[in-house]
This record gives sequence, C-alpha cells and structure tokens, in this order.
Amino acid sequence: MEDLIGSFEKKDNVSLGKMLKEVENQTPLSLEILKLSSFRKGKAHIIGVTGPPGSGKSTLVGKMCKKLATMDLRIGVVCVDPTSPFTKGALLGDRIRMQELAKLPNVFIKSLATRGNLGGLASSTADIVQVLDAYEMDVILIETVGVGQIEFDVLGVADTVLLVSVPGLGDTLQTLKAGIMEIADIYVINQADRPGADESVKDLNLMVKESGKREWSPPIHKTVATQDSGIDELIHDITAHKKYLERSGLWKEKRQTRNVTRLYSMIESLLAQRVEDHINREESLKAKVQDVMKGERDPYTTSHEIVDRLIAKHNSYQYGG
Amino acid sequence: MANNTTNQEKKLFDHEVVQEIEAQKKRWQENTLKGKDGEGQYYSDSGIPINLLYTPDDIKDVDYLKDIGFSGEAPYVRGVYPNMYRGRLFTVRQIAGFGTPEDTNERFKFLLKNGATGTSVVLDLPTIRGYDSDDPEAEGHVGAAGVAIDSIEDIEALYDGIPIEEVSSNIVTHLPSTTVVVMAMFAAHAEKKGIPLEKLSGTNQNDFLMETAIGSSLEVLPPKASFRLQCDAIEYASKNMPRWNPVSYNGYNLREAGTTAVQEVACAIANAIGTSEELIRRGNKIDDFAKRLSFFWNLFNDFFEEIAKCRASRLVWHEVMKDRFNAQHPKSHLMRFHVQTAGITLTKVEPLNNIARSAIQGLAAVLGGAQSLHVDSYDEAYSAPTEESALISIRTQQIIQAETNVVNTVDPLAGSYFVEKLTQDMAQRIRDYIAEIESKGGLVAAVESGWLHREISDFAYQMQKDIEDGKHKIVGLNYFPTEQSQTKVEVFRYPETAESRQKEKLEKLRKKRDKEKVERALAVLRQKCHEDVNLMPYIKEAVLEYATLGEIEEVFREEFGLWQFPLA
Amino acid sequence: MQIKVVMAKLGLDIHWRGALVVSRMLRDEGMEVVYLGNQFPEQIVDAAIQEGADVIGLSTLGGNHLTLGPKVVQIAKEKGVDALVIMGGVIPEDDIPLLKEAGISEVFGPETRIESIASFIRSEVNQSIA
Repeated sequence: MEDLIGSFEKKDNVSLGKMLKEVENQTPLSLEILKLSSFRKGKAHIIGVTGPPGSGKSTLVGKMCKKLATMDLRIGVVCVDPTSPFTKGALLGDRIRMQELAKLPNVFIKSLATRGNLGGLASSTADIVQVLDAYEMDVILIETVGVGQIEFDVLGVADTVLLVSVPGLGDTLQTLKAGIMEIADIYVINQADRPGADESVKDLNLMVKESGKREWSPPIHKTVATQDSGIDELIHDITAHKKYLERSGLWKEKRQTRNVTRLYSMIESLLAQRVEDHINREESLKAKVQDVMKGERDPYTTSHEIVDRLIAKHNSYQYGG
Repeated sequence: MANNTTNQEKKLFDHEVVQEIEAQKKRWQENTLKGKDGEGQYYSDSGIPINLLYTPDDIKDVDYLKDIGFSGEAPYVRGVYPNMYRGRLFTVRQIAGFGTPEDTNERFKFLLKNGATGTSVVLDLPTIRGYDSDDPEAEGHVGAAGVAIDSIEDIEALYDGIPIEEVSSNIVTHLPSTTVVVMAMFAAHAEKKGIPLEKLSGTNQNDFLMETAIGSSLEVLPPKASFRLQCDAIEYASKNMPRWNPVSYNGYNLREAGTTAVQEVACAIANAIGTSEELIRRGNKIDDFAKRLSFFWNLFNDFFEEIAKCRASRLVWHEVMKDRFNAQHPKSHLMRFHVQTAGITLTKVEPLNNIARSAIQGLAAVLGGAQSLHVDSYDEAYSAPTEESALISIRTQQIIQAETNVVNTVDPLAGSYFVEKLTQDMAQRIRDYIAEIESKGGLVAAVESGWLHREISDFAYQMQKDIEDGKHKIVGLNYFPTEQSQTKVEVFRYPETAESRQKEKLEKLRKKRDKEKVERALAVLRQKCHEDVNLMPYIKEAVLEYATLGEIEEVFREEFGLWQFPLA
Repeated sequence: MQIKVVMAKLGLDIHWRGALVVSRMLRDEGMEVVYLGNQFPEQIVDAAIQEGADVIGLSTLGGNHLTLGPKVVQIAKEKGVDALVIMGGVIPEDDIPLLKEAGISEVFGPETRIESIASFIRSEVNQSIA
C-alpha cells in the first residue's frame, strides 16, 4: 500500500488506475486508502451531467473536456452505464464518444457500471470522486446513466449539475418537470441545430421563471456538441457557477453537507448489515422473521420488537460490562 | 413501353380459375397434405414467412404487363437489358490489391490474361482512411489489405500497361473522402496520358455509409460532409465522365456488417434518393445523373430470397425514379448492380466448402440478373486470396457462363409462383423500410442519430446468438460439426517490403515537387470547402501538383471537423 | 469479482461487427466491457490503465495483427499493466505461435463460441488473482 500511495502522490496514472480499481471493487485495501487524511481534499470542482438517453451527454462531456484540457486543467471523467439486472454484465460505451480525448495527458476517464444501484450512479461513485480529488484533479465530470427518469444521486455528489436535453424531447421534459427545477444549475439544449430548439429554450425559460426567483438563476444553453458549437459559452457559465458557489459560501456548505450525508448513509448501511447479522445469530429473532414471512405476524410490531431488543441488549452490554 | 397498355388491370390468372384453385388448394390441404406439413413456421433469412407450396392464387393480384413486363422495359423486374447475357455476359471482376501499386499491377495483368474482363482494385486501410504511407497511423497497414495509393504517381504505376480506355476499372474507394481524391487522380492521370475522360469506364464505391456507419474508425468526417463529397463525385462524373459510375451504393458492406437483405437494399436506395434530392437542389436534372447511379449487392445462401431481392430492387428503383423524381430517360429507370458473394458466410472450418457456397451465391446473382460479379475465394476467412484461390473464383464464374446454360434465357425463374410472390413481398418490405428511414429524417439523419448503427448492431448480435443456439445453421460449424482439426491452407502473404518501398517513393516525391504550388492548391481547396461548390476540380488541381492523398484529406478533417461514431 | 474488459479495434481496421458482438456477448456472460472503438496501442493501454482492466481484447481483420498486437503487450509491460491480452479476427494460423510468443495470451478465430472466450478469460483472470 505504501508503494501504491507513494507513486500515487507522484501523479503516476498507473497507480491511480490501480487505486480506482480497488475502490470500484470496494476491497478492504480501498477502505484503508479512503481513510487517509490526504484523501480528504475537497478541492476539485465536481460537475454532474445528467439527462435522458439520446441527448448526447457523452459527446457533450467529451467536447467540454477537450476545451477544459486546453485551459491547462487536470480533468477526471466518471461515466456511468447500467448493469444488466439479469446477467450482472455491462457494456460501457461512453468512452467511444470521447475518442478525441485519448491522446490528452491531462484527462483521465473511468467508466463505471451501476452494479445494482438505482439512482443514476454507481454506489462507488462518491469514493471514486474522492480518489480523483485526492489526485488533485481540478475538474471532475460525472456523467450519469441517463435512462429516462431523474437521477437524483448526482445531486449528492456534484457542485454544479447540468441537465442536458434535446429538441423534440419536449414530452420527456414535461415528465421530468416535477423534479426538474431542483436538480439543475445549468440547462443545456443539445443538438440545437434540430428543429424545435428555440421552442425548447422558451419552454425551459418559462419553467425556470415559474420556479420562483432564486439567487442563481439557471442559464439555458444551446449546443451542437458534434460541431463544438456553444461549448465555450457553456464552460463560461460553469465557471461562473463555481464563482457563485464560492462567493455565496455554498461551496463550503455543500461539502460539509455532503460529508455529513455520506456519514449518515454509511451509518445506515452499517446498521442494516449489523442488524441482519444479529438476526441471523439469534434464533428467537429468526423465528419472528419467519413468522412475518408466512404472514402470521405483522411487520410493524415485529420491526419495533427487533430493534428494541437489539438496543436493549446493546445497553445491557454497555452498562453491565 | 409496357405501360402503354390500358389502365384496366390485367391479372395473370382469370378470377374464376383462381377461385377454383383456392378451393382445390383447401381440399388438398385437408385431404392430401393433412398432417404432413411439417412443424413450426418457416421463414426466409429476412423474416418473410415461407409457405410449403405456392400456387397461382399466391400471385393472383399480379398484372403481368404492369408488375413484371419484359426485359429492358419497365418495370425492369426481368432485367435491365432486353437480351441480357446474350448481349453481354456479366463482367468477371476479381478484386486485387496488395502491396505497392507495382505489386498489384502484376496481379492485374495475371487476372486479365486469365479471362478477367475488367480490373478491380481494393485499397489499403491508410489509403481508405486518408493517411499517407508515411503517416505514423499507417504503420503496419501499408499495402496489407489492399494497395497503397499516396499520389498520382501511384495511380500511374497501378495502371501501367493496362488499357484503361478499353477495360473497365473498378476502384473500391469505399469512402467519399477517398473517392474524390482517388477519382481525381485517376481522371488526371488519364488526361496526362491523352485519354479523354469520356472514354473512361469503371466504378467507384463512394458511399458515405461506409465512412459513417459500416466501417468504424478514428477521425471520421461528419455524415453531412461525407455525403457532400459523395455527391460531388457523382455530379462531377455525370458532367465529365459519361461512362463512369461514380457511385456503387454499398449494400454489400452494410449486409456484411449486419442487416437483412431488405435493409441492405432499402438503405442503398434511400441513399440514392438522398443523392438525387441533393443534386437536384444543386440545379442538376434527374436524367443528367440517374443513369450513372449503380448498386452493389451481397448475395447470401438463401437462394430464392436473394434472387427475389435482385428482381425486387429493380422494381422499387424504377418506381422511385418514375413516380418520385419523374425521370424521363429510360436509362434513369434501370438499376444496374454488381454482386459480390457473401464473405461473411464463408467458414474457416473445412474451407473448401466455401467453393460450394460461393458457387451457389454466384449462380443466384446470375439468375438475379447482375451486371458484374465477384466470387469470393475459399480462403477469405484466412487472409486475402492467393493466386490459386482467386483463379478458382474466376473459374467458378466461367463455369456458370459456359457450362450451365443459365445465361441463355432471360430471367429464367420468372413465372415461378414462389419467386414472383417473394419478389412482391421483398419489394413491399423494401418500400416500407425506405419509409421508415424517411420517417427518421432521411438516411443522413438516421446515421447522425445512431439509429442505423443500432439496427446493424442488433442484427449482428442476434445472428451470433442464433448461430450459437443452432437456430441459424452453418455446415461444419453447428450443423454436422467438423471433425477435422485444421485444414492446412496456404496463406497469401502481403509483401513485407511494401511499407518501406512506398515510404521511399513518398520521400522522393516530397523532395522533387514544387512545394509552393502544392500549398497554394491546398489553400484554394481549403477555402472552397466552405462554399457551396463542387470540390472535384480543386482536388484535381491539387493532385496534379503532386499533393498527396493524406494532405488533401487532412484539409477535409480540419475544415469539416471530426465526428464521433455513435456506437453502443 | 467483476471482470472488466477493455475491447478495441486495432488501429485503422474498419470492421466493427465482430468486436461489438463479442462485447455485447461478454456482457451477457456477466462481464463489464468498455468498448473503445478504434485505437492505437498506446491509447489502448492508457484506457486499460484508467479503467483498471483485467483483460484487453483486440480485434482485427486488417492484417495488422503482427505489428500492432505485440506492441500492445510491449507497452503494457513497460507501463506496468498486468492485464491479459487476447486477440480475435481473421488471423492466419501460422501467425498464432508468433503472437503467443509475443505475449498475446490467446487468439480466437471467426467461429469461436463466446462461451469459450468467456471461460478462457475467467480461468486466466481468476488464476492471476489467486
């Protein structure tokens, strides 16, 4: 591990790749790495890109990246694709839309499969981002799965969220509307050379206005990613959003909230695991679960009984020594 | 013309006769056939249900004069020429191309001496992809799967001693970006030799699908740009090279990549429709160029479906030209096509079986009325053909020509209830798929959105599953699997020295040419990329100054930008 | 453990059917497949580093197997990547020993069943972990 961290600190991409692989597979070694204080930097600007399928997210991320790379920034890209629930396999196809990044030394791309996680990201995403941040990336772009519904996970990870849509996906926008206003800091109408682009912009404008006055009013951009058009303006607003976050104190606040959220979610999963282990060890509890399974006992009472029992046992252990 | 008859439809069979046949068929099914009709459904390779027996009632709506007609007349189902192979046998075309132009020139001479009636050249990957032989990206590819062409000097060497004003020259340029450069070199070389452009006959492949959907690559031009170059070449030839086919809409490679026979034909025709619309927008008349549009089909093993495809494609093309574009010249209405047998159906196991497969496919092509033919060699699942295997391919075609007598009568399968019915079914499915493409905004849009790539990928994936499940039978592989371990096949070796020889020539060329003139010609071309003009004359100027293929295509890449292949 | 495969078309070769079908079918076999499209050896190895690939799959029908295939192995070694390198496509029988000598673990011809590729990968990858 020392060797790995040593070469990691020397900015050796091979060691970064190896470390990410550990983290992706949530190995014991990866937990040791993530505990290190040098892995709590919080410096990178984390940009989430979400949107429905076919909106050209990957191409857009690729072009943004190319532009950012010319600004002498170090960039990490995390692309997420769905895992097949049947075979557990995944085809990770985002990278092919970013072929022109292959020769850029300051761009590092990691493709992740969701591995059963439903919120639009892989469950390891936050950890992956943490490692990329520790590697002193200036910008980390996260591309969500994009399967249609709103993918809220990205809100918990990113500082700036882009919602990408395309003309003609008006219906999709409507269905997204319920949660759309809360999700995005910047809207992008990609493939804006297609008919209906201006209407989409108008619709979005209306929706943004309806959502009430806010300190940061989400701008709406038209891009044609395949032709590099509108990218400069988009980058400009992403930078502006970062400045706004810093100025308003949100930059720090978001990070703090994120830290606490991560703590709580870890506590949650840890507890769940411990409770399950305990039930499996204690025959009387196991029997209760069996009864619920058969429908002979109700889950409301039983859940209270189990938790009460565990806490009581834990307290007696504490006080009784 | 066949459609000079009255408007009243004349059915092939009398109504009463059909009714009687239908009644008798029912009886036959219930009494004679009963319980013997086999289990399950039968389908053609493209999914058309196939009946156990066809009778006149299956084609009861067919009007012979309107729907089938005579050879050399509308609707051209029976063939594009009145006398078909009695007038001119199909051209025996065998592709050659490896090493340097000098190497391929030798193979050309060998094939011509043995009865090939035209040359057909395939280019190496760097040439197809627009890189010179000394480009770092070209390493390992120079002269490997085709011949390397860097400058007009290479074209001169390739056709040295070949009477290009007499034998036709097929140049498998694949991509429009390659086509415009190589075609300009070919034309310029002919003029230097004193051969007028009107005398040149031959074909380029020139299909933007090849650049943007069929073949994957780094550094692909956007579909719109590739389509523009495709149209530039066609427009230039229609004005200057009246005997040249500046396009061969490439159903072939589309099918190899993964489509049905229906999709193959529909995409190619949709591309021709798009081309026609663009050339008309530029102020050309349909009859100025339609007669120079040619097609390229791939014939698999589903014998009757492939024959029906050939017939149906002529029918649909005629409809498109007549009804949609109101073309007047009879030649605009007739679809001429080249056939190559299906490389992807050839097996690596028991390779000699491939001779049988190719012969069956080649026979289907002739029964389908192909204008020219390439029969794949049995060793293509191993490498490029050896001289010996290429000769077997020629001999196969000669056997069809001279020993089977199938060329003596026109469209011999016409009138078969089954073949006529299948022809009608194929035609309808082709029309429907063209309509589907148009509902996506036309072929260029269908490529831009990645729709076509998904169609191809899904087909190829399903096919592989069907092969592994044994649903799609392949002899020696999943049907009577071979017991032979490995057949020793003599493998053709690409000349290893090609890369260094080609690089040497390039180095000399770069030294001796007038650098300033090259740069000036390229600067003009660069500027013209952004104007609504045909680029061919400017490319020709550049090649005459010895600008290389890679330099010209670099201009395209810089000016048109690059496109990311929408694959997943 | 999930097996991760980086799949690429080697260099300029244009035939994508095989590589994509194999990618989709390895996914069906439960693997995570990163499809790169066409790339050159240096970039293929970089992608394998970034993705933490257990396997690098190279596909070619372009006749470049002997030049570019071994180059992938060589660059991988230089950079300290220990992924398994396998190859598929139209490759003459006589060249297979040369490729293996150069460090390509296995070469699969056009008629290989996907199961045999998958089981080869599984056994090799599991061995290297154990």
